[in-house]
Amino acid sequence: MSAPSPVFTAALDGGRLCLGGRLERATARALSHALERHAPSPGGALIVDLKGVDYMDSAAIGALLDAQRRAAARGSVWRVEGVSDTARRALSLFRLGPEQAAPPPPTPLMEAVGEGAYAARTALGDFLQLAADTTFALADPRKLRLGAFIEQCVYMGSQALPIVGLIAALLGLTLAFQSAYQLRQFGADIYVANLTGIAMVREMGPLMTAILVAGRSGSSIAAEIATMQVSEEIDALKVMGLDPIQFLALPRLAAIILVVPLLTLMADLLGVFGGYLVGVLYLDLTSGVYISKTIEALAPGDLLSSMFKSLIFGWGIGLIGLHFGFQARGGAGEVGRTTTASVVASIFYLVIAGCFFSVLFYVVL
Amino acid sequence: MVHDLVARYGARTILNGVNLRVEPGEIRVILGGSGCGKSTLLKHCIGLIPPAEGRVELLGQPLHALEGAARTALLTRIGMLFQNGALLGSLTIGENVALPLEAHTDLSPAVILEIVRLKLAMVEMSHAEHLLPSEISGGMRKRAALARAMALDPDLLFCDEPSAGLDPLTSRELDETLLRLRDRFGMAVVVVTHELASIETIADRVIFLSAGRPLADDTYQRVRQHDHPEISSFFARVAAGEMRGGPSALEVLTKGGH
Ligand SMILES: Nc1ncnc2c1ncn2[C@@H]1O[C@H](COP(=O)(O)OP(=O)(O)OP(=O)(O)O)[C@@H](O)[C@H]1O
Ligand SMILES: [Mg+2]
Repeated sequence: MSAPSPVFTAALDGGRLCLGGRLERATARALSHALERHAPSPGGALIVDLKGVDYMDSAAIGALLDAQRRAAARGSVWRVEGVSDTARRALSLFRLGPEQAAPPPPTPLMEAVGEGAYAARTALGDFLQLAADTTFALADPRKLRLGAFIEQCVYMGSQALPIVGLIAALLGLTLAFQSAYQLRQFGADIYVANLTGIAMVREMGPLMTAILVAGRSGSSIAAEIATMQVSEEIDALKVMGLDPIQFLALPRLAAIILVVPLLTLMADLLGVFGGYLVGVLYLDLTSGVYISKTIEALAPGDLLSSMFKSLIFGWGIGLIGLHFGFQARGGAGEVGRTTTASVVASIFYLVIAGCFFSVLFYVVL
Repeated sequence: MVHDLVARYGARTILNGVNLRVEPGEIRVILGGSGCGKSTLLKHCIGLIPPAEGRVELLGQPLHALEGAARTALLTRIGMLFQNGALLGSLTIGENVALPLEAHTDLSPAVILEIVRLKLAMVEMSHAEHLLPSEISGGMRKRAALARAMALDPDLLFCDEPSAGLDPLTSRELDETLLRLRDRFGMAVVVVTHELASIETIADRVIFLSAGRPLADDTYQRVRQHDHPEISSFFARVAAGEMRGGPSALEVLTKGGH
């Protein structure tokens, strides 16, 4: 059978605490308790005897140093006398580092608010700078790297087609069903076409596409750029005399601006198609009636404004992803945080921008 | 080249009055303990961080004051090997090396390919032309990054710990590559390194940094003989822990207090 579990002994003999046995990680907690129990009263003294120690590791040394520090704080004497050979070897192996100043206390609230505001202003300044730089550069299409642009279009656009299409169709389907329940009570089934068409094209199509793009492409822009930032790849580009804005930001931004309106157009059409399925298969409308009702409901301007809106959405998502990516500092953990933060910021932006457009269209149209 | 440079991160001063002159055709080694600011010094030299005070002049031109085309033109005359290589992860090794050539020359793709192969052969990385940086080892990445830094045949090359992470043989070959470049092209090289063997082989002149200031700045032979304890212990490889550590736990516990 194995030896009995490691033990240590502590016996108080006058003002002398005799420790023996194995002082190690497994017994360090018990050791701390024993030392605390026998701690000298303020102004008193305790001599610790280590002659009986068979084994000692750094955990036990930590416990001893801690007990000594506490005793010193209470103004009592606490000292080791008599050390076995094993204990001596362990104790002389470890050296104490110089005393370090305590880390600065947390910033007081008001100062923290001030610092936060200052940081936000700097970040906003950087963001506007980025927006200006990219817009300026986009105005000169010769600066665009065609290969990278196409690559980004394929990733952000073609590869997003199935998921955007599927969700749009299902959304159209759901909208149609929901409105059908209500409209049926008035015998106004036929207006399902109008409702679904308007809701999809004016609101749901652009917003849903943009949210998917924010989660898919906005996040990957932020992650890619942040990774390049922390691995010094962006520094390397700068030293090679390549402008990171032109080299990295432009292809991505141009791609997202082109791709989001196109995806939105497809989402609009498939959303209407979802409604059409409900109308024809479930409400027994004829296909011709449904289509003509939809066309009647939608002004040509609706489709255009849907695409314009999504262009602004895409532009914002791209800029936000780039901004967060370029701001990343530090290690690999920063990449994850940056990515999440950029998605949250993008969605926040989409809601605000969506609100703004609703008010604008309401006032203008 | 570097005059009275002061470098700060926030409120922390890292470099405090560093002067560094590099002559054409010499290999200049920057020494100093870990975290003393060697990489920081290089980042100032290549224009990534503007100096808090002082100025940096490369090949006779004030890098930090230049903008636009003039700055780019100057940057094409220098090369930098980053501590971790910093190859672009989305491009193959060959494309990485081709990048500066595509951006700054009007050579045809076929000619660029030939040049890329020459540079890769120089660092014995020909076999990795079509691999991605994530598919090769750390030491190979470093060699590939050297090939990229050399793509435009710079007049001035900066290397941050080129031989760290390389086996002794490869490290030796890299040293010889640097020496060849110096001798054949009169290229000036600034190298940060800890490898004593490597310093011995390549260093013409050495600057030793400590606590933000140069402790010594002289030929390798003379710095080697320098009697400052920090420098002599560096060359004698005395473990820093033995020298600097505080009292042992035994002393503290038996003396009855910290
Ligand atoms: N981005 C940064 N922000 C704040 N402090 C930094 C930053 N980069 C480096 N430092 C600090 O500056 C000091 C010098 O760092 P640097 O990387 O230049 O050291 P080094 O001499 O290259 O070290 P090593 O030999 O380990 O590469 C370190 O103490 C480090 O903590
Ligand atoms: Mg370094």
